[in-house]
Amino acid sequence: MSAYINKQGILKTVGVVSVVLIALSGCGSSDGSQQSAQTGKTASTLTIWADADRVATLKDVAQKFTDKTGVKVNLVQKDMGSVQQDLITQVPAGKGPDIAIGQNDWTGVLATDGVIQPLELGDAQGDYEKIAMDAFNYNGKIYALPYSIENVALVRNTKLAPEAPTSWDDMVATAKNAGTEYPYLLQVGDQGDSYTMYPVQTSFGPFVFGQNSDGSYDSGKLTIGDDNGVKFAQWMQQQAKDGVLSTSMSADIALSKFEQGASPYLISGPWNISAIKKAGIDVAVDAIPSAGGQPAKPFVGVGGFFLSSKTNNKIAATNFLINYVGTDEVQEALYNAGGRLPALTSAYKKAIEDPVSEGFGKASENGVPMPNITEMSSVWQYWNAAEVSIISQRGDAADLWGQMTSEIQDALKK
Amino acid sequence: MFIEETNPKESSSWIQHSKTNVLRWFVRTGWRHFVGILSCAFAGFPILYIVSASLNQQGTLISSNHLFSSITFDNYVKLFNMPQQPFAEWYLNTIIIGLSGSVLSVFLGAMAAYAFSRLRFYGRRVGLFSLILVQMFPQVLSIVAIYLLLSNFGDVFPILGINSRLALILVYLGSALGVNTYLMYGFFNTVPKEIDEAAKIDGSGHARIFFTIILPLVSPILAVVALLSFIATVNEYAVASTVLVSPEKQTLAVGLYEFVSQKFSQNWGLFSAGAVLAAVPVVIVFICLQKYIVSGLTAGAVK
Amino acid sequence: MNTSINDEPRKNAIVRRRAERVAAMANVRTWPLLIKIFLLGLLDALGIYSLFILAARRYWLAFIIVLIVGLLVNWIYWNNKGLAAKYLTPGLIFLVVFQISAIFYSGYIAFTNYGTGHNGTKEQAITALMQTSLTKVSNSDTYKISVLQCNDKLSFLVTGSDGVSKIGDSDTPLHVADGISSENGESSSVSGCQTLSFNDVLNRQNDILQVKVPLSSNPEDGTLQTSDGQTAYVFKSSLMYDAKSDTMTNTKTGMVYRDSGKGSFVSATGEELVPGWRVNVGLSNFKRVFASNDMTGPFLRVLLWTITFSVVSVASTFMVGLFLAIVFNDPRMRGRKVYRSILILPYAFPSFLSALVWAGLLNEKFGFINQVLLHGADVPWLQSPTLAKIAVLIVNLWLGFPYMFLVCMGALQSIPEELSESAKLDGASAWEIFRYIKFPLLLVSIAPLLISTFAMNFNNFNLIYMLTAGGPTDTSTGMNIGSTDILISMVYKIAFVGADRDYGLASAFAILIFLIVAAVSAIGFRTSKSLEELY
Repeated sequence: MSAYINKQGILKTVGVVSVVLIALSGCGSSDGSQQSAQTGKTASTLTIWADADRVATLKDVAQKFTDKTGVKVNLVQKDMGSVQQDLITQVPAGKGPDIAIGQNDWTGVLATDGVIQPLELGDAQGDYEKIAMDAFNYNGKIYALPYSIENVALVRNTKLAPEAPTSWDDMVATAKNAGTEYPYLLQVGDQGDSYTMYPVQTSFGPFVFGQNSDGSYDSGKLTIGDDNGVKFAQWMQQQAKDGVLSTSMSADIALSKFEQGASPYLISGPWNISAIKKAGIDVAVDAIPSAGGQPAKPFVGVGGFFLSSKTNNKIAATNFLINYVGTDEVQEALYNAGGRLPALTSAYKKAIEDPVSEGFGKASENGVPMPNITEMSSVWQYWNAAEVSIISQRGDAADLWGQMTSEIQDALKK
Repeated sequence: MFIEETNPKESSSWIQHSKTNVLRWFVRTGWRHFVGILSCAFAGFPILYIVSASLNQQGTLISSNHLFSSITFDNYVKLFNMPQQPFAEWYLNTIIIGLSGSVLSVFLGAMAAYAFSRLRFYGRRVGLFSLILVQMFPQVLSIVAIYLLLSNFGDVFPILGINSRLALILVYLGSALGVNTYLMYGFFNTVPKEIDEAAKIDGSGHARIFFTIILPLVSPILAVVALLSFIATVNEYAVASTVLVSPEKQTLAVGLYEFVSQKFSQNWGLFSAGAVLAAVPVVIVFICLQKYIVSGLTAGAVK
Repeated sequence: MNTSINDEPRKNAIVRRRAERVAAMANVRTWPLLIKIFLLGLLDALGIYSLFILAARRYWLAFIIVLIVGLLVNWIYWNNKGLAAKYLTPGLIFLVVFQISAIFYSGYIAFTNYGTGHNGTKEQAITALMQTSLTKVSNSDTYKISVLQCNDKLSFLVTGSDGVSKIGDSDTPLHVADGISSENGESSSVSGCQTLSFNDVLNRQNDILQVKVPLSSNPEDGTLQTSDGQTAYVFKSSLMYDAKSDTMTNTKTGMVYRDSGKGSFVSATGEELVPGWRVNVGLSNFKRVFASNDMTGPFLRVLLWTITFSVVSVASTFMVGLFLAIVFNDPRMRGRKVYRSILILPYAFPSFLSALVWAGLLNEKFGFINQVLLHGADVPWLQSPTLAKIAVLIVNLWLGFPYMFLVCMGALQSIPEELSESAKLDGASAWEIFRYIKFPLLLVSIAPLLISTFAMNFNNFNLIYMLTAGGPTDTSTGMNIGSTDILISMVYKIAFVGADRDYGLASAFAILIFLIVAAVSAIGFRTSKSLEELY
């Protein structure tokens, strides 16, 4: 019996001792790796979040920056759909990037959550298109270095419609003569798309909010529900009755219909041009003709580089943005990769030598920046829903539009 | 009856007979084929549609309505030639994460099921029930917690931080104990206790009994649970997209979804091809395990 | 006699003991023990390593947790008792770390105001407020600067547009300094000071960002600050934070903002500074769910649809699955394997992809179903509130019946044939055999799976999100919810969509959902008595 106990005891002792030995050897070997990790941290690294296309384009300039300054640049490829939420979650936890690519309409939310900080562009501010600066202006501060300007315009199949339309009626008549299925293609989708519809809406008059003298939006002045708005709602309902507007017409379907030649006109943005060209269709781009008598003003979305509020590399980041991203070379490279016009004026001027880009540029001249105030999110929600209801003939257009207006008012009061 | 059927000499009434035979055949098994074909049509037409779209060069939603109007493998070839969307790596990651995740969670679950089935301890009943309940917590909101947890792990062990496939596998192991444990528990109960007793008398320890006697006996349920957790892993999007950041580390679910959500229209054909390929491992695993699955599922609970 | 009586049992006892010893020694085999030592050793190595790191970084709470867990694990595996713990611990550790901790986290968040505008700590909010309150003086010149290290202080050396070089630091306003040497017209070095190279600047970024050189002795003139280390502008801060009184003061209007206790600085007039920070708000999130008019209504409506959705989904998949299992349970039938393999396809196909495919198939004007199967009918599958609900249920039937089919097939085959044989001899019809013998037995084994399927569907976020995104939108509620939104997709929208994200409220909802599902399941288990056999 004692022998048995001893044997068990010995085995156990051996066991415990070996566990400790393994444990200690584990520590010994891991010490080195930890040290090297620490020395790696002393050289600063700029972490940049960007989407796949941008990562590929920024690689060169990142390398150049590293060669010049010794600061490493870590380009992290992110899905654009998750960047905004990840910034909100990760920056307060001290984990986010130094710089993130994003859209100007995120500015309000990101600033309200305290995850981005104003960027001091100094004299460089004047080198950019004014609308790009306005787009990132939130409470009087510029929050990003802009790199792209995008808006919808009238994309025209030159085979079916060789001349730019002189008016909305001219456009519809041309399409009729061409004998196509649709006079024009305008996406709506199941969730509604008031962004793409906006230039048509503004041609009837109504904006969403009134604007202050400095061009920023005044959420106190809701103008969407005026008489012009009702006229637009009725127009939409009529177009839906005629079979032109439909919630089935999603962005994808509008594009493929255009590629099939189902209409000479597509109201869309520069992001679709490469696909259309690939499908072998020659296009020209013009400003959108007015359906309601006043100029059609599209929303202008601006892409930019945000600076995290918790960055430890502000000086390096500011240098990288202003002196490297804010150059013709990089802005043009980003333009070539994405087809969206550059925000830097000198690069912009060069880009609009291309007739298609010139068309988009012309269409944006009337445009207004995508609102970046947080109030906009509840506006979008009701606005899109109302357009879907009107287009699906779920009631009288004027009633539905009026209902939307009061809902937006209620939501803004909260 | 059967003699009549197989007797060719009575050719005069053959037609008559064949009619009644068809009827009889229909009543016995024919209607089953009818139901089978109907249900297969319901189950299969969306799949057929995807396969057809994946072979369609135009690859748009509208053009895909004419099934198999054109057949080309361009989409499949292209899928493997996108530098920013490393499809081959997604595929490999999915299989590695899926297989290791399911093998490990089967192991953890089997150990727990063994304890619940064979050992008597305080809180056994409540314990088993709680395991099932805990898994009912809505996962969507856990994502933020998991993110914070892993990024803190990453400070101590970089290999367990965000953007680590190992970390993702560990997170999946968090749900190893749950409904699947219950499934296994039921099956373990069908293995007669006398077998353990006999082994114990022969001098085998509990570990030996578990590994060399019980596990082989319950292999059908292990196969089933392995398949279920493999499917669950392949399908999982929310956690995987939070943990895996760089494209070369992502799984099919994450990569493919982010890819299509950006440019759905242009990529309908590519997306379909990717989806078809994504389904292949699951189908293969299923066909391999088919004979176990039929006997394994729920067999335990009916005594 | 006594001895002989005693001797016999003792002998027996010795023999028995010897046998036991042999058995025990056989029991303690070397290889398993080595494996055990190796695995535990590896674990302890990791544990001790992380203890060192945690101690070095002073994460004491984590340190204590790791220490306790480590000791517990070692105790469990070197102890002879507690066999059950040896088998449960590995799985339980993962469960606790990745699931239960997440539940506790959500539980904690449910009592806070975490959400838009209350996104971080108070310190972070103050930093962000200071960052945004810093305003460049509108007519500020551009000052080319060099950063110098003079004694212990960082100074800016400035060459103004008039060519005069000045120097200053945070305590000393800008002044003309002696001993400035200039190169190419730009001042670059000062005696007694060392000019920082750009690399030095980068290495000391955060110190340099803190340097605020007063333009003059009058603080109204503002301070020179740089954000790129090369140029500086005159800034004024519109807000001042006083740490002692914990107040923010607007330097222009003199308005004082105090910590309201609700996670933000608020002035006497009720004006709130944004961003605020995260604080505990007690039960107010739960109160909002039940006591605010614009939330309780939508909540109950969505709850009703969620229950309908889960119950109908479970019932329909179970009925179809069971029916097919019965149909294919006839061994005389040929090609069962082929059917089975085809029927399993919807389950094998990644479900998040199938939902997207179905959304395309169901498109009103161009989808395969309306265009091809219904010959051009315009059925608004995803646009009409009622049809969208039906469409969701059909798609979920498609996704879910293969699992039920598999489960029922297994259960049917495990029911002993003798039972139905003897019933047949007693003259029972096929239907009676099914109704009174097979079905009850089947239900016993499948009930727990039905309950867990119910719970799974209750939280079936993927399907709703990918197929309809909750739509068609219903604006009558005042909340961003649609006709097909189930609770979990509503929670997702509250937490992650739009500009009024309210993570605290979403967590409160999540806790409620959990309680509902757990209660329903507990009742279900009790009714089915499926766990009774545990006794």
